[in-house]
Amino acid sequence: MEHLLETLGRNMFGVFGLLALAGAAFMVAARSAVHSVLAFLFTMLCVAGCFLSLEAEFLGVAQILVYAGGIVVLFLFVVMLVEISKFKQKAKLEVFQTQSRIAVVAVLAGVAAFAGVFRNAIFGPTSPEALVLRPELARGLDVAKENAQAVSRGLFADYLLPFEILSVILLVALVGAVVLAKSERV
Amino acid sequence: MVSLNSVLLISFALFSIGVAGVLIRRNALVILMCVELMLNAANLNFIAFARHSGSASGQAFALLVMGFAAAEVAVGLALVVALYRRRDTVQVDDINLLKG
Repeated sequence: MEHLLETLGRNMFGVFGLLALAGAAFMVAARSAVHSVLAFLFTMLCVAGCFLSLEAEFLGVAQILVYAGGIVVLFLFVVMLVEISKFKQKAKLEVFQTQSRIAVVAVLAGVAAFAGVFRNAIFGPTSPEALVLRPELARGLDVAKENAQAVSRGLFADYLLPFEILSVILLVALVGAVVLAKSERV
Repeated sequence: MVSLNSVLLISFALFSIGVAGVLIRRNALVILMCVELMLNAANLNFIAFARHSGSASGQAFALLVMGFAAAEVAVGLALVVALYRRRDTVQVDDINLLKG
């Protein structure tokens, strides 16, 4: 048992990654949109775990805040506004599209070609320089602080212009969402 | 420890699931969620390469991508709500006004 736990702890990334894949598969396959949203939440939390295990502590927490706290709640609101009445009317509802087989085949071929490009990198011999843990990981909280410092230095010093553009884009998206979603009569 | 290849493999699989979801699902909401999934796979790559190269630039860009994703979701959900008001549906098959 202890051995198992220890193995799990060493392979945290794999555990979270496989859980994220399972959640994503369930999200695509679920019939009900509410189930899809819940699987989406699970997937996002698992991706946050992946970020944490890759030592991106700030981003892991930001992922939890932004996705679990914001985006999933938005999705649930819209599902609540939109879905229930419609799904009761159409009892026999086809979940998957069947018309666009050619499109599906074309994109799957593209994905396969993409996988072929990376075949050597992924299935070939493992890269000599694996991602090893930084020695300062042992210091616990200090790493989180340094991680946030490093990210903020990148964000506010090296990439200040993209950051400012992003703020303008968020403002435009805010105004656009209000304009799109408001009712016509107002 | 985590090898770069395993991160790439998992992010590739996540991206593929997202692409498959966009292509085969009919519900506009689920399609939006699948787009989010693809953005997350890209973020995973950013972070893996940031760790691989030992610089924080990739993490800064992943944060920017997260902001773009939030903006995209806001506009997309507003579109879905507007669509539901006008056409009374969120199934993308029923939205064929521009289809020849």
